[in-house]
Amino acid sequence: MKKIILLCVFNGLLLAETKSWDSHSAYLLPQKRWEVGLFQPFRFGYSETIEYSTFPLWFFVMPNASIKRIESDMAGFNTASRFKLVYPTPLLNMLARAKTGGMIDPNFQMPPMLGLSASWLMSKTIFPFVSPYSLIGLDLTLTGGLDLGITLGDLDPRSNIDLPLVYHRLGIFYNKWGIHTGLDVQKNLTEKIRVLVDLDLRLLPGLADIQINPDLAKLMGDYSLEHKLLLIWNKSDRFRIMTGYKFVKGTYPYGSDMRLLPYIPMMEKWVPIIELQWAGKRAK
Amino acid sequence: MKRVISITGIFLILACDPFVTEFPDSSDPVMLKAANASDITYVYDSLAIKVVTWNIRFGIGRFPFFGDSCGDSVIADDRSVEANMAAIADAINALDADIVLLQEVDLESKRTGYLNQVQYLLDNTYLNYGSYASMWEADYIPSDGVGRINTGNAILSKYELTDAERIQLRLRTDQSDLIQYFWLRRNIIKAKIPALSQSGKDFFAVNIHATAFATDDTKEQHINKYIEVLGNIDAGGGIFVTGGDLNSVPPGSVIDFCESDMCVNDNFHTENADPYHKEGSYFENFSGEPDLLVPLYDTYDAAIDTASYNLPEHFTHAPSTSMIDDTTVTMYDRKLDYLFTNGTWDSGSGSTDQSAWELSDHMPVSATFMPVGD
Repeated sequence: MKKIILLCVFNGLLLAETKSWDSHSAYLLPQKRWEVGLFQPFRFGYSETIEYSTFPLWFFVMPNASIKRIESDMAGFNTASRFKLVYPTPLLNMLARAKTGGMIDPNFQMPPMLGLSASWLMSKTIFPFVSPYSLIGLDLTLTGGLDLGITLGDLDPRSNIDLPLVYHRLGIFYNKWGIHTGLDVQKNLTEKIRVLVDLDLRLLPGLADIQINPDLAKLMGDYSLEHKLLLIWNKSDRFRIMTGYKFVKGTYPYGSDMRLLPYIPMMEKWVPIIELQWAGKRAK
Repeated sequence: MKRVISITGIFLILACDPFVTEFPDSSDPVMLKAANASDITYVYDSLAIKVVTWNIRFGIGRFPFFGDSCGDSVIADDRSVEANMAAIADAINALDADIVLLQEVDLESKRTGYLNQVQYLLDNTYLNYGSYASMWEADYIPSDGVGRINTGNAILSKYELTDAERIQLRLRTDQSDLIQYFWLRRNIIKAKIPALSQSGKDFFAVNIHATAFATDDTKEQHINKYIEVLGNIDAGGGIFVTGGDLNSVPPGSVIDFCESDMCVNDNFHTENADPYHKEGSYFENFSGEPDLLVPLYDTYDAAIDTASYNLPEHFTHAPSTSMIDDTTVTMYDRKLDYLFTNGTWDSGSGSTDQSAWELSDHMPVSATFMPVGD
């Protein structure tokens, strides 16, 4: 019995730290802790109730920031709210260019655009049995929220980028608003290795109605379903590696499509996600 | 468990469709049918068969598209595309053709409002059956905002098409691997039309769009392959009507259009010009190019015969933004589009409908095939 208690305490200490890696959960980073990844945002635990994050590599061409705040527990769930703000105009105008790299017709000038997103996150460890941090338990996070796309000027629908992941995120600017919801499940496979499975749904209600000529494009792409599976190796509380895949299915202006990502065009093959993340703690 | 593995396998295969579609030497084209197709209405009556070839320039009319004119526009607006496609459908109906060979037809491409133009024409003309072979199909072209693209050749017919085949033409060799990967994959599309069998001989329609901008011997390879395909049908006892945009001028034609096609700030025909000639505007990139079509004229019956093929009334093309002066558009200044058969065209039926010059940068060529007697 003594051994079991000691094991649970040790296990709890170890995974309590790794739990703070979860950027999509309602849990916040501990105060003064920071994390950054190749493809993940820089996150910083500002206080015990507030966490800031931003994508630093994108910041100068697409200013962005988000704040996550602890809310009162609800129905046994740890709860948080998250507010995101993004200004993609400079990046999109860089992509509106002639020749190679031109993702948008260079004849289009993208107006000032501000994306706002509010999310409600609820996390809970279910089936804990022995302890909240046992290998048996599952960490569950439910997410839901509203996205608003504010444009200050004319935004031509033909300036869309009809690629998976991109189309529905930029779609809020054409549709003015959208809804997102999601489910994340994490489970420890060993003390160092976890698996993450998530499912996210993005909706752009009424998008077809904004089409100038609905006879030409009856499908305007009003939903996207994204699923991700990641294996996560926590080498330490300062470094971890993730690998896995992302699957996207949705409707687009040309119809329905699905894609396994990352996909390398010239090789015409899927390759696994490789993500490296680092963390540290700022001295108080 | 087997079911799970099967479903997972299908999911992985479908989710990993190529980003850019490449084609084998021979493949099946996409087959389409008009929403209101009627097999009963169009039973062949043993009368003459009207054939049309037309490069419809993906339904954008004289839009100053960056890729083939001096324009800098990329994405046409939906209303213009629809209006132009309606006019093209009207023109096809007015020609009252039994078989239409189309080049540069878009399917669900961003530049033309994601319209399936083959289906649109089938649904808005009296043509019932279609076969489509893509020459440029990619999820995304990351250049100039082109985005999703699928464009190619199509055969439309009143009568059912069978045994359709997409025949891959050689790729250009004067491009880098990266450019070639995202570039066009030109083809010949061939289909049998059982209802038009002539005295027991199979009847085929063959459509080609040869390279326009290659500066190596690609065009020669394309025409040679075309001649080979036609020769095989002929040798097999079949009858064919064929045509397309050969991107070649007739023997004896002017071969250098660089000066007239030149855009503002272009530099050709000067000591420092590199390249010296404008791609697509010069027709002697390799030895013998000016006479490339001689074997076709020597072997088969041409809708526009050798006595007429260099007459202005049979010119079929001019770049869409080519101008005579500040206010006058060059409607046509060369012949690039042709019709041939190993049977016989009705004498004098060959025609170039230059009144359609605003609907594309090419004009339709038509002729009436005379049925083979018993």
